[in-house]
This record gives sequence, structure tokens and C-alpha cells, in this order.
Amino acid sequence: MGKTRIRIVKRDGCAKRKKVLMYLIAIIVALAIGAILLSSLDVNPFQYYGKMFTMGMVDNHIAYRTVENYIKAFVPLLLTSVALALSFKIRFWNIGGEGQFIIGAIAATTIAFTCGPSLGPGLTIVLMLLAAMLSAGIYGGVIALLKVKFKTNETLLTLMFNYIALYFLLYLGETKAPWNFFLNPESERPIFGSFADIVSFPTIMIGKFSLNLSLLFVIAICVIIYIYLKRTKQGYEISVVGDSVGTAKYAGMKVNKIVLRTIFISAALIGLAGALKVGTSGILSTSITDSVGWTGIIVAWLAKLNTIGIFVVAALICVLDTGSTIASSTYSAIDANFADILQGIILFSVLVADFFTRFKIVISKKEEQ
Amino acid sequence: MMKKFLSILAVTALALAMCLTFAACGNEETADPGSEPGNGDFKVGAIYINSQNDTAGYTYQHHAGITAAMNELGLNPETDLIIVDEVTDSAAVSAACDTLVEAGCDIIFGISYNYIDAMEEAAAAYPAVIFSHATGNRANETNFNNYSGRIYQAHYLSGITAGLKSLELGNNNIGFVSAYGTANAETCSSINAFTLGAQSVNPQVQVHVNIIGAWENEELERSLTQDLITTYGCCVIAQDCDSAQPQLTAAENGVFGCGYNSDMTSAAPQAHLTAPIWNWGVYYQLAIESAMTDPANFIADVGNYYGGLADGFVGISPLSDNCVAATQGYIDAVSSLLISGEWDVFSGVKLTYNIAEDGTVTVNQNDAALIDAAGNPIIAAGGAPIADEAIAASMNYFVQGVIPHNN
Repeated sequence: MGKTRIRIVKRDGCAKRKKVLMYLIAIIVALAIGAILLSSLDVNPFQYYGKMFTMGMVDNHIAYRTVENYIKAFVPLLLTSVALALSFKIRFWNIGGEGQFIIGAIAATTIAFTCGPSLGPGLTIVLMLLAAMLSAGIYGGVIALLKVKFKTNETLLTLMFNYIALYFLLYLGETKAPWNFFLNPESERPIFGSFADIVSFPTIMIGKFSLNLSLLFVIAICVIIYIYLKRTKQGYEISVVGDSVGTAKYAGMKVNKIVLRTIFISAALIGLAGALKVGTSGILSTSITDSVGWTGIIVAWLAKLNTIGIFVVAALICVLDTGSTIASSTYSAIDANFADILQGIILFSVLVADFFTRFKIVISKKEEQ
Repeated sequence: MMKKFLSILAVTALALAMCLTFAACGNEETADPGSEPGNGDFKVGAIYINSQNDTAGYTYQHHAGITAAMNELGLNPETDLIIVDEVTDSAAVSAACDTLVEAGCDIIFGISYNYIDAMEEAAAAYPAVIFSHATGNRANETNFNNYSGRIYQAHYLSGITAGLKSLELGNNNIGFVSAYGTANAETCSSINAFTLGAQSVNPQVQVHVNIIGAWENEELERSLTQDLITTYGCCVIAQDCDSAQPQLTAAENGVFGCGYNSDMTSAAPQAHLTAPIWNWGVYYQLAIESAMTDPANFIADVGNYYGGLADGFVGISPLSDNCVAATQGYIDAVSSLLISGEWDVFSGVKLTYNIAEDGTVTVNQNDAALIDAAGNPIIAAGGAPIADEAIAASMNYFVQGVIPHNN
């Protein structure tokens, strides 16, 4: 009797062509599964996918609004993913993106309401961004400090810090009190107030389309991060610490300092993403993060923590996300939950393909001894 | 190995593709919403908090109302109703408005109070589309209105059924689990009206109130109900929150209850008496019809809608067998007063009843001041009813007989 053993073995290198093929197959399989589900609900899958991947912009007299909404979703996701990748590079498992994002958004809103009326929009925006970066940087940095001082587990702490931030936000949103300037004073019921008429982020009008400058700003930051990682001493330190703490120590690097600095920057950038999000919509909301703290983790790993890769993956995931909402609204049988399931199937298949570009399954038969 | 894996994948993909083609063939007869854009059809847009496929709850009630109204008006909800659901974020509301305008909607309904800012902005950005906002309080003069209703009238009626039950049981403690208390004018007026209704048949009644802090939180809805039963000995549990948990908990404890939003008799057959309900379809039919026939005068014709028992916009579900036998007579008598407009809940006139041997109920109107829980008179004896806006927007006190425990 032979005994079959299944083992997962690391693949040494996978040809680029093969990789692309794997991803393509994964997407086709996912779409095919989705097509079966769609057909079972009497929806034509080709038309549905058409709507989804074009984000409904074909034959659409206000397609520019779709692009504007797309950018509003893309900017926070891109910046958060780039920032999370920074943490992951030094093997600091920051799953606290949600919390850092919320803290940044709250800090920016605080500045908008308190300083906005007296300082004028220009200076206020600068202060909003700085306040968001500082507060979120500290919020994440505290966990890094605990890790280097007391060897606490950053995965647990960043996760739990998410809920502190989230419930603080919910508290602000539900508590009517004289001190609570976050709420709309004219509303009987507690709802967040808008600061859009005090300060809002600048846009350039191109015809009817208004290009939010936060897009250019974030792209510039990504370029800076790219250079920072590839060309600076600090960037080199990050890659050494990520590879091996022992090597870094042997080379005389101050590992603790590097970890603290990197996590501060990572969290600060996520806070900045929160400030950009709240600054463009002009109002807080209890679902302000749009889950970018979670989605950003997927984006960062799918892109192998590569800044350029993150740009591409974030852009594609945003197409998927925006397109899903638009496509699902067109068909009465499809609701937002179904659109989420489809997205999940696609992402899952791609992750499986990703797994197989790095590992292979070896089935061997062994004679029983 | 790699080849084998690829071939398995390829075969799977092929098989799936075949299924797909097969399934798509069967589709051709059905009308396809995506294939005929802009054919001049009237389209309705809706933004929901939860899923359009819910089978109970707030979103479900609105969805049922919109589809019923559309069917009534000869529109097909399958093709003419465009929905963006699961919307809570304010940025998502404004994107949803864009999506619905892009899809060619002529009127867009938003069902959550939190949509207020985004809908007001969208109404300004898209003057050719009508925006209609449930439970809101803003409007403009051309294409933005709000709609809500006198749900307190229905709570008064359910208060009567609860009061009669408490008389029968000889227990004057009634419980009320509410999403919010005095912080929200709608829940505040509902609790007050329920209490006044119960007091009209049993003047000794005390209504113990526990506040949840959210419209939906099944665990708290359950534990706060249990608290009312064990700590305060309540014999009837009323509610102003989304789930059926208060009724289920009442049933488990062998006490009775008044549900909310939908007939909860099937959920708690041994406990449920009746439930105040919204008939959103009444408004949706009015609004869609007006938007179809004369959109330019929508605001003049429909305006800010505040429907009551008289419009059939609010009401109570059919009385269950758990109710005291004479209850229907009381409900009919008070309903006719409310429908005729002769009397309203928050006024300087209180009701008492005479019941004849054949079960006929006659209502007496007696001048009596409306007094708040702190003992201050709100309306003097014989005074006129409170203005609608004061009930809908600013009522923030409990009446005598309400005992809040965690407001």
C-alpha cells in the first residue's frame, strides 16, 4: 500500500508569463462563478460585467461625476495602502489602519471647526493635514513604543485600538452636548455638522469636471515614498530591518529607533488619508473609513508591498468597488451584499492564484515502511 | 504538475462558460433593464439603509411601500425602480444620488435622516430631479421635500390596548423599550402618546422606559426588556425600535407586548397585542403620481408630507386574540375621533369611556391639562392641540406617568 503525501513547497521563481496567465485564469474563473450566480437571478452577466467594469460611464451624460466619486474613493485607499506597506516592510503587522484613519479624520475636523472660521481656508488646510498626521502618528507610534519597550503584540494592539477610535467617533456622533462642535447645531437629532462652507479642499475645474487636488497631492506623496524607500539611508535601513533584525543589529543599526520612526510615518500617512477623505466630503461620518484600513492590507500584499504595484492594484480595486455599486443599482435582483460577494470571489481567486505563483503542491507516493 | 493544474482550471472555466451561455439563452425573453436606456420611461430611485432584499424591518417597510405604489400606478419595480442599498456614509449618499440621476431617475427617495445634507446638495445640483427625504425637516421650493407622519396617533391606540390589558391583569406597570428618549422628537412623542392612551383606560398606569441608544441592537432590545419585566414587574412591553426581540422576550416571560413597524403576532403569538405601523405606500403613491403627472408643481401639490390616521398613512396591525375582548370597540371609537380631526392626542382634552352592555363604546371628552413629568403644564385644560412642528421636531419632555430609567 502506497501512502500519498500532499505537501506545499515553496516555488523558486515563477516566470512572468506564467504569473500573468495564472492571474488571468483566476479572474476568468471568478467571473464565471459570478456569471452563474447572476444568471440564476435572471441577470445577463455580460451586461452586468459591462456596467461594472466601465463603472456605468458609457452613454452617461454625467460620467464626470462618476470619475469625481471614483477619485474620492481612490485617494484614501491609495495612501492608506502605501502607508500600510511601509509598516509591513519592517514586519510590523499594523492592522490598525481603520483606527489611525479615524483619528486623522477627527483631528482634521477639529481644526476645521475651531480654527477654520478665524484663520481662513489656506492655513486651515495646512493645519488640518499636520494635525491629522501628528495625532494619527502618535496613535500608531504608541503601539510601536509598547512593542519595542515591552515586546507587546502589535497585531492585537493595533486591532484593539481600531475599536477605541471607532467608538470614540460613534460617541461624538451621538452625543448632543454644548461642547460637541462636531454635530450640526440646527438639527434636533444628533447628526454630524458640515464644514464644507468653512473650508474645503481645492479643486480645478476642467470643463464640468472638478479635479480634486488631493489626487495630485497623494500621487506626489507616493513618488516621495518610492524615492524614500529606494534611494535614502532610512529606506535602506527599513529593508535591512525587514529582512533580519539580527543583521541590522550587527550592522550597528538602532533597530528600535527605526521601528518607531517607520511606524510613526506609516500611521501619520494613514491619518493624512483620513484628513483628505473628510476634507473632500466636508463632513464626518461613522463609516468614514469605507474600510480602507482593511482593504489597504489586501492591496499592499497583492502588490507585494511595491509602491508602483500598489497604485495599480488600488486603482483596479476601486474600479471593482465603484463599478459594483453602480451595476448592482441597475438590476432590481441585485443588492449591495450580492455585489460584495462578487467582489469577494474575484479577490479570493486572485489571492489563490497569487499563492500558486509562490508555492506548489507536491503529491508524492511513499511506500509504507 | 503545473500543466495538470492549468488543464483542470481550463476545463472548469470551459464548463462554467457553457453553463453561462446556457443560462444566458434562457434569459432572452425576459425584459432586460440594461438594454433600453432612456426610452422615456418614468424611473423611481431609492436609497436604503439596509438591503432591498430584507424580509422585515425599516428598509423592508419602505421597499414594500414603494413597490406597492409603483404596481398601483402601472410602473414595473423590476425595471423602473433603481436602488442603491446599504448606504450609511455621507459620501456614499452623494455618490448614490449621482448614480440614480445617471440612471435616469425622475424622483429619488432617501429613507434615512442622515442623508439630509447630501440630498439637499443633490437637489440643488440636479434641479430636474425631485428629491424626497423621509423623516427629514428640510426642503426647497422646487424639487426637495420631506415626509413623515403622525405615528404618535398609532401609539395612542396601542396604548389603549396595553392599558386595557393591564386593567385585566391588575398590574399597573407597563414597559416601553425605545431607540431614543427625549433626544428624538419622534420617539419622545411616541412614548408620550402611548402613555396617554394607556392612562385613558387605566389612570393608574405607569410606563417604565428603557432607552437603547440605537434603532437596532437586538441584544440590548432583549436585555432592556428583560430588565423591565424582572426589575419593574411590567405586564405589557411596548417598543419603538426595529427588531421583534422585545416581543420575543415578553413571550418567554409570559407577559404581553405591543410591537412596532410590522404585525409581530407571528413572531410572538402568545404575547403580541397589536403594533403601530407605517403605511409608507400611501405617501409613495401620492408622490410618484404627482411626479409623473405634474413634476413642475410637485412641491405645491405634495409639499412636506405629514400624514396621519386620517390618510391611512399610520395605523395599528389587526388586534390579536390576546387583546381584551372589548378593545376593538375602544379603538374604533377613538380612531373615528382622530380621523375626523375632532380631537388629537396632545391637547387640553382627555378621553374617558362608557361601555354599554352590548360592547358599544362611547367616548367622553373632558377638559384636562396636559402636564409633563416634572409637573409643569404644557397645555391648559381645554387648550388646542400642539402644532405639528412642535410634535415632529421639538417635543423633548415626557408627560406625567412616564418613568425613564436610563434616559
